[in-house]
Amino acid sequence: MTLLDRLLTLLRRLRRSATAPPSPGPEELHRQFIARSRSFRDLLTANANTLAAMAELETALRDGRTLSMTFIRARCTLVTVNVFKIIHHLNRMADGRYSELERAFSRLHRQIETILDGRRKPATGALILDLRQVGRAQADLTGEKMANLGEAGSIEGIRVPPGFVLTTAATGLFFQRNQLYPRINHIIQQMDIADLEDLHGKSGAIQELIRAAPMPPELETLLLDHFDRLAEARPGCRVAVRSSALGEDLGQASFAGLYHTELDVGRDTLLDACKAVLASKYTPRAISYRLAKGFRHEEIEMCIGVLTMVEATVSGICYTRSIGGRNDTLDLFCAPGTAKGIVDGTRATGHLLLERAPPHRIVRRLEAEEAIAPWLIDAEATTLAETGMRLEHHFGAPQDIEWSIDRDGRLYVLQSRPITAAALHAPVAAHPPPADDRLVLHGGVTGCGGAGCGAVCVVHGPEDMLRFPRRAVLVVRHPLPEWAPLLKRAAALVAETGSEAGHLATLSREFGLPALLALDRATELLADGDMVTVDATNRAVYRGRVEEALRRPVERTNPMDGSPLQRTLIEVLQLISPLNLTDPASPDFQAGRCRTLHDITRFCHEKSVIEMFEFGRRFRFAKGTAKRLRDTLPIEWWVVDLGGAFVPHYDLSRTDIDIADIACRPLQAIWAGMHGVPWEGPPVAGLRTMVAFLFHSALRDGLDPARTSALREKNYFLLSQKYCNLSARLGYHYAMIEAMLGDRPGDRYITFRFKGGAAGESQRVRRIELLAAVLDHFGYRIDRLGDALTARVERESEQVLLDRLKVLGYLVIHTRQLDLVMAEAGAERSYRDTFIQEIEDMLNHE
Amino acid sequence: MSLYSVLIVDDEEEFRDMTAKRLSKRDLQCECAPDGDTALGMIAEKSYDVVLLDVKMPGRDGIETLREIKRIAPMTEVVMLTGHASVESGINGIRYGAFDYLMKPMELDPLFEKLNAAYERKRTQQEKIKMAQIKKNMARPS
Repeated sequence: MTLLDRLLTLLRRLRRSATAPPSPGPEELHRQFIARSRSFRDLLTANANTLAAMAELETALRDGRTLSMTFIRARCTLVTVNVFKIIHHLNRMADGRYSELERAFSRLHRQIETILDGRRKPATGALILDLRQVGRAQADLTGEKMANLGEAGSIEGIRVPPGFVLTTAATGLFFQRNQLYPRINHIIQQMDIADLEDLHGKSGAIQELIRAAPMPPELETLLLDHFDRLAEARPGCRVAVRSSALGEDLGQASFAGLYHTELDVGRDTLLDACKAVLASKYTPRAISYRLAKGFRHEEIEMCIGVLTMVEATVSGICYTRSIGGRNDTLDLFCAPGTAKGIVDGTRATGHLLLERAPPHRIVRRLEAEEAIAPWLIDAEATTLAETGMRLEHHFGAPQDIEWSIDRDGRLYVLQSRPITAAALHAPVAAHPPPADDRLVLHGGVTGCGGAGCGAVCVVHGPEDMLRFPRRAVLVVRHPLPEWAPLLKRAAALVAETGSEAGHLATLSREFGLPALLALDRATELLADGDMVTVDATNRAVYRGRVEEALRRPVERTNPMDGSPLQRTLIEVLQLISPLNLTDPASPDFQAGRCRTLHDITRFCHEKSVIEMFEFGRRFRFAKGTAKRLRDTLPIEWWVVDLGGAFVPHYDLSRTDIDIADIACRPLQAIWAGMHGVPWEGPPVAGLRTMVAFLFHSALRDGLDPARTSALREKNYFLLSQKYCNLSARLGYHYAMIEAMLGDRPGDRYITFRFKGGAAGESQRVRRIELLAAVLDHFGYRIDRLGDALTARVERESEQVLLDRLKVLGYLVIHTRQLDLVMAEAGAERSYRDTFIQEIEDMLNHE
Repeated sequence: MSLYSVLIVDDEEEFRDMTAKRLSKRDLQCECAPDGDTALGMIAEKSYDVVLLDVKMPGRDGIETLREIKRIAPMTEVVMLTGHASVESGINGIRYGAFDYLMKPMELDPLFEKLNAAYERKRTQQEKIKMAQIKKNMARPS
């Protein structure tokens, strides 16, 4: 700021006081002061709440575990409303002089709401499409599954069942006509996701809502017409009604087996079957999967495929690149009848390994014991391999294919989708299990490698799910998709049946959960509460904790990485947390320059402190006037009482005050820290550093005579009995301490900010490093940005906070002008050790 | 002896009764009203320290009720409840003088904390007014 600017400001201030109405009487002033103090304290509480909620959002982004749309929405609301409160209170303190902030606020608020609401465009297009008209290009309208199937049907030599698709335009119409999304959101917002019982209850309520909603009449007519057309070609035909969701391709997620498929549906049950599939978007397993993988339910749009039933003699799954075997092989899993038993893991399954390259030689054949004749003859296996490779070639990635062969030997492809990346991780080489007496079970199939240890919990039915403890070993008969909500809580999965091709196996790979399947008699031999180690890689279960099995590291990925929910959070945080207004002395420190909610918070906090002083100055009012705090140090301290900070017998007409007359606990602690160890004055600087110091002072302040007093500037404490705010310009740096010692944990915190100082950039950074090291040693949480530092402690007991304040008191005095000597490398280490030693002595001394 | 009095206004009977029961165990004196008009009738009859007010109710909605409460009993502190995270109702609540707002579902402890804070504010306000009155009386020459 130039001298001219300063003069202008001063003149404006004088003019303002000159034109102001005649001073109100002392009673009125007292009333105004109390009202302002109250607004100030409310502002501080809102400020603390805002920063706490921002910190929670940032933590959630880092670890991903607690992320859900409900969480993001609730925290964003908390931040937004509290920032509004801050502005509201600042304007009350400043007679509305900061109304400009409201514009910046409403803009940010609107942008955040838009992101949180999701910019879902209503789908337009045909309500129903014949499968023959469908290809990849229609994925937005038909969902991934049906788009792929339609596309597959167009490939020469590949047969898919005849059918049609109910598009997003149709299902969107159903949801919109019945006002379903607002009603569902209302239920979901009140759901406690940690509580499985609540999850089941709310899930039931939502599904009931959907099943009870009427189908729009125009849709009903279209559906039945299309069904009749299918039946013309094959009289008496039955259909399979399957889900085909949109948005599942986002992120690394398979959504394996989460939704419902209705088999053997006739004309009379078609409408109900469609609604049942739509409702299955809200089964407990689908809800918890979306929460775990970071999907918003509104973003997953459900389409419905209606396909003629294939009278299958044998069905199965084909992975065109083997998930357990060699890279140059493909997997075929098969079982008699429909494929449902394989993906549900309830059926004994045959497994063939074939070469990917023609002529697709069979490398290995494993069949279930009960197979009398082979389920799949060699010629059929070869045809399947050919078909699989053709699909892989067409879609450009290894495929996970569901197929059936009917009684006439015709092969139908029912589904083809890319294998999720997680499934393709190279298998870990298996070691034979050590033959010791701890071995309980050996054998089975590895669903997902790795090892886990925990107490056994055998789950037979949904009622057992509710009592499933965290980090337990999940033991089941069949690996049904119903158990999906438990995968996130379990330490390992063991099932008596199943194969790598089951949905639950796919999901366990996505979550990196060690899974051992097809392990005979597991539910018999493992009892609730037994402590076991499951070594899924080596297909063994041990009694107790087996360190050598657990020591092999298993990578557990953040399931949220790349998810839409994570992207939403990143987008809103862009509007919330970056801090651009860091320096109150900068000309950019203006209401109009606030680009984030954090900026507004910071701006208002700074201005509110100034408002409190200004009030005292402007009105020269006895109780608001600052008192000089007597000190032996050559520093000017002034205090302003916000209420209850002075002892009752203190004479308010005095112009100075002794520390003994201060009743504010935080200030007493800071003061003790300031005077606990005698200060030896500014350290002696070498000649070269002194020159550099003068150079930088000149560079910063120009030749501004107003600045010559900077070294002797007044420093203010704002005090109440439990609150203390110190803004200090000590030497050339700026320090702010704010402390609240309330009764409730949320009202107990210390914030320390530090910035600036003459001397070169590297020295300033070195000083910040020194401060950060000392504060970290005493349990402060540190945030650094260049040469600015913020340190926080929250929710600790009063005694702990008082000790931490002494640390700050010490540092504020002893780091004065440290830059001068910090020029020498290695100096910060010796200062750090001295500081920590002296502070510890001081704290232990009492 | 009860610490202070709370009026719970919510159209969900289950929530109302459960909250009243649990807060009573913590020595708060609780009464309930199923809608805004009933609540206003009760507040006109008798003074309550804190009102816990649902934003979304059939009939007179929460914000309207809040404005009316602040008109007839300005010293009573109001804590708003919202069923889902709505910034709009939060902002309107603050604008029309609510002490704070909470999102449903909430745990008992934060609710209790919030009500205590609201009551604390009401009490200090009342004391300050009383002190000012005393000073005024003493300053007046008799």
